[in-house]
Amino acid sequence: MSTGSVVVPVPDETTRRTLPALTATSGLLRLEMRRSVMLWMLPLVATLFWFITYRPSMAYPPLWNVRAMSMQTTALSVFAPTVVGAAAWLGWRERRHGMTDLLIGTARPRWSRQLATWAATTCWAIVAYLGCGGVLYGVTAWQGAWGGPLWWPAVVGVVSMPAFAALGFAAGVLRPSRFTAPLVAIGVFLALQISLQFIHGDDSYWQISPLVAGPWEIGPDTGVATFYRYLPDLPIAQVLFLAGLTAALLGTLGLPGDAGGRRLRRCAAVVTAAGLLTTTTAVALAGTGRLDAHGMIAIPLLHDEGDDRPLRYTPVCNHTPIPVCLHPASAGYLPSVTAALEPVLTELAGLPGAPVRISQAAARYEQGPDNRVSISRAGPPTSGTPQVFHLLLPHQTATAEFVAELRVDALQSIVNSVVGGGRNASPAQQAVTEAILGTSTLAPGSPAAAAAQRLAALPAAARHAWLVEHVAALRAGQLTLEQLP
Amino acid sequence: MNVEIEDLTRRFGRTEAVAGVTMRTGPGVFGLLGPNGAGKTSLLRMMATVISPTSGRIRLLGRDPGQYGQRREIRRRLGYVPQHLGYYPRFTVVEFVEYFALLKEMPPTRVHHAVAAAVERVGLGDKATAKLRTLSGGMLRRVGIAQAIVNDPELLLLDEPTAGLDPEQRVAFRALLRDLGQRATVMVSTHLVEDVGAACTEVALMDRGKIVFQGTPEELAARAEGTTAAGDAPLERGYSAVLAQART
Repeated sequence: MSTGSVVVPVPDETTRRTLPALTATSGLLRLEMRRSVMLWMLPLVATLFWFITYRPSMAYPPLWNVRAMSMQTTALSVFAPTVVGAAAWLGWRERRHGMTDLLIGTARPRWSRQLATWAATTCWAIVAYLGCGGVLYGVTAWQGAWGGPLWWPAVVGVVSMPAFAALGFAAGVLRPSRFTAPLVAIGVFLALQISLQFIHGDDSYWQISPLVAGPWEIGPDTGVATFYRYLPDLPIAQVLFLAGLTAALLGTLGLPGDAGGRRLRRCAAVVTAAGLLTTTTAVALAGTGRLDAHGMIAIPLLHDEGDDRPLRYTPVCNHTPIPVCLHPASAGYLPSVTAALEPVLTELAGLPGAPVRISQAAARYEQGPDNRVSISRAGPPTSGTPQVFHLLLPHQTATAEFVAELRVDALQSIVNSVVGGGRNASPAQQAVTEAILGTSTLAPGSPAAAAAQRLAALPAAARHAWLVEHVAALRAGQLTLEQLP
Repeated sequence: MNVEIEDLTRRFGRTEAVAGVTMRTGPGVFGLLGPNGAGKTSLLRMMATVISPTSGRIRLLGRDPGQYGQRREIRRRLGYVPQHLGYYPRFTVVEFVEYFALLKEMPPTRVHHAVAAAVERVGLGDKATAKLRTLSGGMLRRVGIAQAIVNDPELLLLDEPTAGLDPEQRVAFRALLRDLGQRATVMVSTHLVEDVGAACTEVALMDRGKIVFQGTPEELAARAEGTTAAGDAPLERGYSAVLAQART
């Protein structure tokens, strides 16, 4: 040890007041960030994100709505327990390392010291979240997703980080124990998942959960925020809730007598009260939500009617005899749609009643009883002269299921519009429909089934030629089974 | 006077750890001696503004630690090494000392230089970037001293600071104490009387929460004259004699 005198004068009051307090705070933050336990959680968070969010999202075509919403619905399930756990571990740090006496004897208020530790955890959590989100958004953009990125889900995610960190940190400070971090991490994960089960209807207060990115029963729906804007109503309420929660939790840490001076504790009380008020307001706002026709939760007090206007777009079409045109966001589905529809469309092209074009329609969402949401085509199946058929894309990711659902929904309607009949179809109409669709819904061994098999065995061109000649009589219900080829 | 204490008492439940202590001291190295459980640590913790007294009056550096604003002013000018030094194992030596420099609200522009100087003064310059978890007990003790002196305190409170230091470090540490004591009040709580003899200008002996002797080390040694008090050195014999007298 050296006895050399190094004079480091303590500054007088005036000098200290003029010094940039921000520099000292940033110095503390730098130290805390460098040694934050959250830094060690980043590889774990990235791995979990890859398994739980990234890979399932990539199973969908590059759609901004589905990918962006997964940054709330699944990514936050990954981040919540890790951030809460790390923050709780840091909240207990002073007691764990026997630093209490040393730290009490320092000039900086305890609250200010705690905020630096919390802020470091939050910064790393946000860096991790933005990194994961950046990869997901970057890949989505690189894959040529139509339109621009949806930022609101990411905003909710980012604002969740301070709230999760505050929750864990407050638990660590107020209940210091080696069990606090694991318990609070598991508890938050379970609480978030269980709270979703309480969502009933579109006016549920539980929608305030940051894991909710839209009507909970729908899940990641490809039709939401495609033809219409992504409504920021629920995200705004969630951001308010999370900001309020953060303020209330951090403010609570500043309330005890040893947290700081009277002025600082008064400030903490105001922050706590403001936080609680904001949180309560946000929950109340979520309770006034309603499912709008476009599949988003609208909150009347926060709703901007400008968001109800449809988005302009140029459809993407294929070159089948009856062109199929999809919304550019769904362009990834065009090959599957073409493969599913082309054989039948080729056969029906040019026939009376056949549409001249098939155009993707927006979905219409309706809140039903028992927490169910019905999704149907907005508007009639056909419109205009010459006729345009409005196609509602099925909500399926697997190609086989997607094609099967297209056949049931779209092709049935198109064939019915040509062959006629519908529910009261004649046996001949039923047989022709069955032969064109290649289905087997008729009773085996019945005359209609036999006629359908006979007709299906013909080459498509021969069937088309026969239809050109007889479709008018068939539509009028004048043909019998015996008259079929 | 940097330390003015009058009839100071601190109780923990039914136990009276400090029982009516009165003391005044200015710059210099002040040794606080006493057997285990005498109340030295409790007295030091009150002076470090870690705990508040049950009764009595205390003024440090001319300020009242009972007032928040004045307590903060005291803490800016205070250095404290507790008996059981806690530390963050993942911090480096420099980071740990810098952390405390910032918590003591030192001007940010002076922190870098002050940290480097404090680390050098405790002889840890070559370990500046070592993580605390890799240091020996003696080195950690020196880190504790570095964080205490980083703000060049006017009041430095050291609770058993030489525990864990080897003889060479102890000699250097005493020299450091003498140097610091030229400008500040350095209060050293210890049970090692040789530390007191080598570094202190004044000494107090505590027993059962009370100060039973206050004077210079020479006066303490003189108390053994004419007695059969046990001890290998004059100070030790003086210590034993005062204690024996106090207990009868």
